Amino acid sequence: MAATSNGLQFTDVRKSFGAVKALRGVTFTVVQGEAHALMGENGAGKSTLLKVLAGILQPDEGAVHWRGERLHLRSPREALERGIGMVYQEMLSFPNLTVTGNIFAGRELTRGGRLRQAEMRERTEAILAELHLDVSPDAPADSLSVAHRQLLQVARALAFKCQILVLDEPTTSLTDGEADHLFAVLERLKAAGVTLLYVSHRLPEVFRLCDRITVLRDGAHVETCERRAVTADHVVRAMVGRELPPRATGERASWSGTAKPILSVESLARRPYFTNVTLSVSPGEIVGLFGLVGSGRSELLETIFGLFAPDAGTIRVAGELVPASSPRAAARAGIALVPEERQRQGLLFNMTIRHNLVLPDRTIKGDVLVRAGAERREAQQLVDTFRIKAAGVEVPPDSLSGGNQQKVVVAKWLATSPKVLLLDEPTKGVDVGAKFEIHEIVRREAGRGAGCLVASSDLPEVLALADRILVMREGHVQGQLAGAEATEESVMHLATHEVAS
Amino acid sequence: MKKLWQIRELSTVAILVFEVLFFTWWLWPDGSRSHPFLNASNGLLILKYSAIYGIAAVGAAIVIISGGVDLSPGAVMALAGVVGAQLFVVQGWPLGPAMTIGVLVGLAAGLMSAALVVLVKLPPFIATLGVMGITRGLAFIITEGQYFDVSSKLLGGWRPLGLPADWVAPLIMLALAIVFHVLMTTFQWGRAVFAVGGNETAALFSGIAVTRVKTSVYALSGLLAGLSGVVLVLVQGQGKADLANGYELDIIASSVVGGASLAGGRGSVIGAVLGTLIFGVLRNALPQIPGATYYDRLIVGLVVIVIVVMDQLLLKRRS
Repeated sequence: MAATSNGLQFTDVRKSFGAVKALRGVTFTVVQGEAHALMGENGAGKSTLLKVLAGILQPDEGAVHWRGERLHLRSPREALERGIGMVYQEMLSFPNLTVTGNIFAGRELTRGGRLRQAEMRERTEAILAELHLDVSPDAPADSLSVAHRQLLQVARALAFKCQILVLDEPTTSLTDGEADHLFAVLERLKAAGVTLLYVSHRLPEVFRLCDRITVLRDGAHVETCERRAVTADHVVRAMVGRELPPRATGERASWSGTAKPILSVESLARRPYFTNVTLSVSPGEIVGLFGLVGSGRSELLETIFGLFAPDAGTIRVAGELVPASSPRAAARAGIALVPEERQRQGLLFNMTIRHNLVLPDRTIKGDVLVRAGAERREAQQLVDTFRIKAAGVEVPPDSLSGGNQQKVVVAKWLATSPKVLLLDEPTKGVDVGAKFEIHEIVRREAGRGAGCLVASSDLPEVLALADRILVMREGHVQGQLAGAEATEESVMHLATHEVAS
Repeated sequence: MKKLWQIRELSTVAILVFEVLFFTWWLWPDGSRSHPFLNASNGLLILKYSAIYGIAAVGAAIVIISGGVDLSPGAVMALAGVVGAQLFVVQGWPLGPAMTIGVLVGLAAGLMSAALVVLVKLPPFIATLGVMGITRGLAFIITEGQYFDVSSKLLGGWRPLGLPADWVAPLIMLALAIVFHVLMTTFQWGRAVFAVGGNETAALFSGIAVTRVKTSVYALSGLLAGLSGVVLVLVQGQGKADLANGYELDIIASSVVGGASLAGGRGSVIGAVLGTLIFGVLRNALPQIPGATYYDRLIVGLVVIVIVVMDQLLLKRRS
C-alpha cells in the first residue's frame, strides 16, 4: 500500500518478543476523523500495536504514518507531542496529585522553572467543562470515581490537543450510565475532527460508536470492514477464527432447589459497604450477584472469603460455622474466591505458573515440603484441563495473554475442589473465546455439586449463567429474581431504584 | 529443570573467583616471600570475619525476599553480644547458658520488629530503624561505656566440640546457608516467603497466612543476628556496645549483591552468604595494597553498584 493516505497508516508492522511473534505484519489504515474499532481476542496483538502507537515499543519492521508523514516514536512523550493521546484500561493516574496535577503531569506549564498554577487550573476548568465533568480541578485524583478517572485520561489527552485518541477497553469498569457519558464525549470529539481508535471486547459499544472495524488474530490482520456492512456474528467469527458452539444453557440439568444450602450467610454486615445480607446457595446452584459499582458486591464476596472481618453476622458452609478470620480459614472450609483484579490479587509474577497453580491447594493442605515433580504433573494437568495456552508450566504468568492468565486464577482455585465457588467479575477484560470457556467451567463446577456465587456487572453474562439473581444496591440485597422473571429490565430496575416498601 | 546458566548463584561465585584471582595476581610477592593474600591462615581469617556478616545475612536476605528490610542486625548483634558477655563475665554464668540468653535476646528483638510491622503496620524500614535504635541503646545502658573481657576468662583454650575456635563461625555460617537454602527452595514456608514478597495481596488471596510468614522472617532475622553477635563476642573476645557498628548496611548490600531484590520476591540465601564473602575478601585484601587504605569504602560502594547493574543486564537478556 502506498503511503498516500492522509489517515493513520500501519504498514507491515512486525514485533517479536523472543520466539513469540506478537505482530506478524499488520497493515491497515485509520481514516482521519473516523472512529475505528480494533478488535481481537486477548493475545491477538492489540496491546502490542497500541504500545507501538504510544511509543512504548518500537516495531522490529514496518512503519506507521500519520497524514503521510512517518512517525518515529521512541517514548510515550514523543507520541503525546505528535498528538496521540492514550486512555488505558489500567488507570495510570497519580492518586496523590490533584485533577490539575494529573492532567499536566510531566508537561507542566512553567515560567522560569516555576509552575504556572493558576493558568493550569484555568485550562483544566475549561477542559472539564468541555467534558461536562463535574469535578473540582483541585480534587485529589483518589477521591474520584473510576469513571471520572477514566475521563481524566481523556482530559489529559485533550489538554495536549491530541488529534488521535486511542482508548483501550475504557468501559470495563464503568456502569452503563457512565459509559453513556463517555460515548457522548467521544461523539463530540469525533465531530470536532479527532480520530478515534477504539479497542474493546464489547460488540454493542463498537457497533454504536465506530465507523469501521479492524480485526486482528494471532498477531495478523484478518480484515477491516465497514460497520454497516457486517453483523456482530461476522465480527466474532473473524476474531475467534471458528464458529462458537451454541450457548450451553439448559445443558445442565436444571437445579431442583431441594438440597440443603452449601453456603448460608446470615445478617452479614460490614459497614459502610453492606448491612444485613442474608443469602444461601445450594449445591449445584449458580447464583448471580448483580449490582452497580459501589453496590457492595465485591466487598460482600471478600468478607465471605475472610479477607475482612464482618461487623455482624455468620457464614456457614454445609451447616458448619466458618471462622471469618482469614482467607486461609475460609479456604479450609471449602470456599474459593476468584478475585476481580487478577494482576493485583490473583497472580504471583515472580513465580512460574506451576507455583501459581498449586499454591492454594498446597497451602490449604498444610503441606510442609514442595514436591516439584508431583507439582509439575498436577500443573500440567490443570493446563490441559483448562486449555491454558502456555509454553509449559515453568513460565511466569506475564508470558500469558489476559484470558489465559484469568484461566490460571480460576484453575488454581478449582484445584482445591471447593464446595463454594465465589467469582468476582470472572470475565472482566477477557475475550469472547475465553469468556465462553470460563462460563463452561463455572457450569461444570456447579454440575460437580459446588455452590457458585458469581458477581458481575455484565448483565447479559449474569442472565445467561445464573439460575437465580440477587440484586444489590447500596449495600443491601434489593431483591431476587429467578427464571423467567429475570430480564435485563427487571434486574436493572432493582439495581437502580429504591424499592417501595 | 534449570539450566546451569540460569542458576543465579553461579554468577556470584564467578565474581568471587575473579576477585580472588585478581588479588592473588595483584599482591603476588617478589622473590621467595610467602603470598600475603593467598595462604591458608589468611583464608581462614577471611572466612572467620565474613561469617559474622554471613550468619546475620541469612536472616536479612530472607526478610528482603519477603518484601521487607531489616536495618537492625548490627545493633541486635551488639545487644546480644553484650548481654551474653555480661552474664558470662560479670554474673559468672557458664558460657553455654550465658550465650544462649544472648541469642534469645536477638530473637526478642526480631519479635519486636515483627510486632511493629504486623500489628502496628509500620513500614519495615521505620520499624526496624526504631528497633535498631532501641537495641543499640540498651547495649550502651548495659555496658555503661565499659567492655566485658571475654577472652581473658576464656583463657584462649576454648575448643567447642573439640574444634579450633576459628572454625566455629565459618562452620555455623555454612550449616545455616545449607539449611535455609533447602528451607527456602523445597519447603512450603520458603515458597510462602517468596509469594508474600512477590505480591502480598495475591498471596493473601491464595490462602497464605501472610502475618505468620512475616512474623517468622523478622523473628528469624533477629535470632540469627543474635547468634552472629554472640559469635562475634567470642571471636573478638570483647563485649562492648559499639560492636558491629554499621554492619546492617554491609549485610543488606551482601544480600543484594547475592541476587536479592529490595522490591521483594527474588533472592537467595546462598547468594547472600557468597555476597558477604565478596565483601570479606575486599575488606581483607584492600588494606594490603599500599596506598589503598583511603579508597576501600569507595571501592566497596562501586562494587555494589557494578554487580547489581550487571545482574540487571543479565536478567534482561534472559527474559
